[in-house]
Amino acid sequence: MKLSTCITMILTFSVSSVYAANVSSPIQIGIAVAQTSNVALFGQEQIIGAGIAEKYFNGKSGVNGTRIKLVMQDTGGDEAGAINAFQNLISKEKVVGIVGPTLSQQAFAADPVANRLKVPVIGPSNTAKGIPQIGEFIGRVSAPVAKVAPYAVRQAMKQNPKIKRVAILYAQNDAFSSSETVTFQETVKNMKLQTVTLQKFMTTDTDFTTQATAVLGAKVDLVIVSGLAADGGNLVKQLRQLGYMGIIIGGNGFNSANLFPVCGKNCDGILVAQAYSPEANNPTNKAFVADYRATYKKDPPQFSAQAFTAVQVFVEGLRKVEAATGKKITQMDLAVVRTELNKTLRKGSYITPLGEITLDKDGDVNQKTFYVSQIKMDAGGKVGKFVIVK
Amino acid sequence: MDAVQFLQNFINGISIGSVYAIFALGYTLVFSILGIINFAHGAVFTLGAYLTYSLAVGRFGIGGLLADLQIPFQFSFSVSLLIGSILSGLAGVLVERCAFRPLRSRGADPLLALVSSLGVALVAVNVIQYLVGSEIYSFPSDVYGDIRPAFVIHFGEKLVVVRTVQMVIFAVSLLVLALLGYMIGYTRIGKALRAVAENASTASLLGINVDRFILYTFFLSGFLGGMAGSLVGTSFGIAGPYFGVSYGLKGLAVIVMGGLGSIPGAVLGGLIIGLAEAFVPSEYSAYKEAIAFAFLFAVLMIRPQGFLGRSQMQKV
Repeated sequence: MKLSTCITMILTFSVSSVYAANVSSPIQIGIAVAQTSNVALFGQEQIIGAGIAEKYFNGKSGVNGTRIKLVMQDTGGDEAGAINAFQNLISKEKVVGIVGPTLSQQAFAADPVANRLKVPVIGPSNTAKGIPQIGEFIGRVSAPVAKVAPYAVRQAMKQNPKIKRVAILYAQNDAFSSSETVTFQETVKNMKLQTVTLQKFMTTDTDFTTQATAVLGAKVDLVIVSGLAADGGNLVKQLRQLGYMGIIIGGNGFNSANLFPVCGKNCDGILVAQAYSPEANNPTNKAFVADYRATYKKDPPQFSAQAFTAVQVFVEGLRKVEAATGKKITQMDLAVVRTELNKTLRKGSYITPLGEITLDKDGDVNQKTFYVSQIKMDAGGKVGKFVIVK
Repeated sequence: MDAVQFLQNFINGISIGSVYAIFALGYTLVFSILGIINFAHGAVFTLGAYLTYSLAVGRFGIGGLLADLQIPFQFSFSVSLLIGSILSGLAGVLVERCAFRPLRSRGADPLLALVSSLGVALVAVNVIQYLVGSEIYSFPSDVYGDIRPAFVIHFGEKLVVVRTVQMVIFAVSLLVLALLGYMIGYTRIGKALRAVAENASTASLLGINVDRFILYTFFLSGFLGGMAGSLVGTSFGIAGPYFGVSYGLKGLAVIVMGGLGSIPGAVLGGLIIGLAEAFVPSEYSAYKEAIAFAFLFAVLMIRPQGFLGRSQMQKV
């Protein structure tokens, strides 16, 4: 027997065995994010957000009286870990849908597995181009970088309308940064600004003297950096130390408190576009922020808000499935629930901590409001926070 | 490239090149005595940076087992640098005791010592990670006291900027090189070290305690490694426990380019690699390491012994 025939038979068997069961009570939703590895910092924020959503929606009678239960699986920071977590959640835990994974790079590896087995996935933080196009069962609540990034440039122009000359720097060995910089470059061009110098670096670099002196020599009014917290923060620090006084915009990689110890007081003033503001004025966000603040004594970060939103989309989708079919989810076949849920997710809008959102036919998020934050460091340069600017 | 740009690149190059030189000297000292490369040198580099940071800031850090553990004292940067380097020197001695002496006493192949030093390096880096986490540590911007972070020299429309930390690195490196040169050339310890390097058996017959001088060498090597790590750390931050690894590779490139075992060669090699990196146009500076190593490859093709290797080699 050919190997491919063998694999097909095994897959068919495992898929059919997965299908031949009703949904358990409480209804299980899988959370596959990074709880270990260097991505864990983001993953842990996501776990918190999802946990608050579980408590909040169960407090509001779950899915029309049936409680939901989150099943956590650690993906680690790599692709293999994400695939394993997805397989476990689908075959062993028999979840109705999956929230995850943390990284776009992991999504490109693990999402096809779920799509093949017809299990709906909502990406809470996958912002790279092409994620919803992986398949009909794949969606996301994290707005793609192309939609978010231009807001920061507009804010910079608002703060200094005289900006003409721009320096753009990006980490060329990071897929996300390389794709983000294209958006920034297009935005700068569309706004009739001039990119005077385009510099590349590596996420592993520590010495940015060459780039920083080149930027200073180019006499620019605005610097845009697409990199991760470590390299990007170091670059900002060296730019400021060399005397660059103009506005700095950081990409999504700067959207992390990990940046603060790297550039210290030199982080002050950096503009970062964000998909979430704790100040968003709707009841879901207010409840979310209140719960988060009560436990952690600070404002919730974007990653937590997006994970909450992903769980919310599933819960509201399940409620709609019950309404449409007139049956309890727990009395329906798992495979049917997964397919119906996936169809329903793309209908109607959701009032979430991210504001009002809808999912388009591809499963991509349409978010109405975006925000720009400015980093404010304390006098000692140790503690920082993102302050929404208007 | 105009003259101003040339001057800017030259300043950037000699500043980082000088710290490459003192780091590479640590490799050279051990190589000239034992004829092997100490792969744990990169780990000592990392350790030195963390030690100096902790002493200068007064606490261990933000992550790992020692997170937020305060130290009851806090020193100025210069004192922290000195103590951090001395402690790194002692770590170098520990490396010799763990990775080199047991094998040497059994007459093992030098290749085994090389592998055991690699093992010690991996263990050390992981212990560091366990203790202080993998977060990035940045020295406070006022670590040198209340002095301006950079100086700008105007040449008409153009300007050359020099970070204060670049000047500090260059000055400290020059001072260390001068002291080391004096010690090796003109003191009894230096003469004894050179004798051991020339021929350990003969030196032993002349009454020199070879084992003790090997220990001194490892102390000096660790001292230089720790100091280089601290200087790089103040300039660019400590980018996690593995940040010594890439510098370790660069240090190897430096000693190979300068000539294995040659002290002037290590200094020359350091400056050349530093300048080679600095003169890579900024648009391509993401490739600077590739270009520096390609340059090394080209040099070895023409002169396999390095610039000052073998024929003019001055052993310690």
